[in-house]
Amino acid sequence: MHTALEKAIELIASGDAELLNILNVTAIMTLSSSVIALLIGVPLGVFLGASQFPGRKALIVINRTLMGMPPVVCGLIFYILFSGVGPFRATHLLFTVRIMIIAQVVLITPIVAGTMESYVEGIRFSVRETAKGLGISRIKSFFLLCNECVYQVFSSYLLGFSRSIAEVGCVAMVGGAISWKTNVMTTAIMEYTNKGSFSIGIALGIILLSIALLINILLSIIQRRASR
Amino acid sequence: MIISGFTKTYDGRCVLDFPRMEISDGSICSVVGTNGSGKTTMAKILAGIEKPDSGIRPVELNAGYMPQRSFAFRMSVLKNIMLNGDDSERAKLLYEKMGLTALLNKNAKNLSGGETARMALCRLLMKDYDLLILDEPTAAMDIEATTESETLIKEYRDKTGCTVFIVSHSLQQAKRISDEVLFLHEGRPAERCRTEGLNAPKTEEFRRFLEFYGV
Repeated sequence: MHTALEKAIELIASGDAELLNILNVTAIMTLSSSVIALLIGVPLGVFLGASQFPGRKALIVINRTLMGMPPVVCGLIFYILFSGVGPFRATHLLFTVRIMIIAQVVLITPIVAGTMESYVEGIRFSVRETAKGLGISRIKSFFLLCNECVYQVFSSYLLGFSRSIAEVGCVAMVGGAISWKTNVMTTAIMEYTNKGSFSIGIALGIILLSIALLINILLSIIQRRASR
Repeated sequence: MIISGFTKTYDGRCVLDFPRMEISDGSICSVVGTNGSGKTTMAKILAGIEKPDSGIRPVELNAGYMPQRSFAFRMSVLKNIMLNGDDSERAKLLYEKMGLTALLNKNAKNLSGGETARMALCRLLMKDYDLLILDEPTAAMDIEATTESETLIKEYRDKTGCTVFIVSHSLQQAKRISDEVLFLHEGRPAERCRTEGLNAPKTEEFRRFLEFYGV
């Protein structure tokens, strides 16, 4: 165990090529999927939280269900759709980083939208009542509502990001965890642990935990700033 | 000013049945009553925040409304006040009177309940309205701020000539500030009188209400 930890630190310090490749694939997948999820999820969440239309409650229930969708189920659906027997087989996307990003977007978007929706739902009445009471136009009132959500957008993004970076079941199924191609930190940890090669797994674990720590520090800074 | 009659029903229960009513222009009317008597619903309907069952707003006037729970937007106190008008002189006059000068650059989200209410009142009074509806505007304020607010409301009325409705739980405040008092009971205006007439209630409900409040 001691030797494995030493070797793990050595791998990080020396900038091991395979380790760097895994980090690169992870960064591409996580950043792309979380940004796309943010771009879709924030407007969707604000729309669901701020507007009134028939079927809104049903959509909220569906979104909340999707928030808790098991990643392996998402992976299975994508696997079926894009495998040799699926309707999208011609795209040849299975076992690529692109399909991993798409699957992650499907997993994360409901989380971003859901957190935004519940936040907006909590403040929309007060914002509307105050703005209307002052005689402020609907457009200005909407911008005021958006201004209220700024810090929530950051929090939602970080939540989506941390979910994406820590995800393993779905990306393993659709990406195949192919070395030098689709292997991300979580799948690599699994793979190397199964092989009995703990050092790279520990190195990746250290990095993953460091990122989680960084995200939590960022979140608490944002929360502190929001309350200032 | 004429308020056309209206009703409001929640879940099949009629919470407000308000008849057609005339109010003298430029008067201050305190709306009193027990919890659930329909005061806030009435205020919201008059302000156009909620729709009455008929769907027609009972007063088609330029109305300003201060909700029961004042909301502070995520910006400085000064920016919150200036949201409702760009007359900095007017803003200065208001925030100085309400003792907010030292808090102007503070994020309004961090104000106390009383400070938020003071800021919300300043913000509302930045604009001229024909009708002002204030739902328990001083409930969270201390005595000093309450007195200042009452003075400010009276000055505003004198300056703009607007009609003011103040929903209040304080009959002492109603006596200090208003020209007349409207007593709501179980969603209906049970009695309406000049402030001087508070000593001679006509209905049993109002008599009991006044007695309870020691008037």
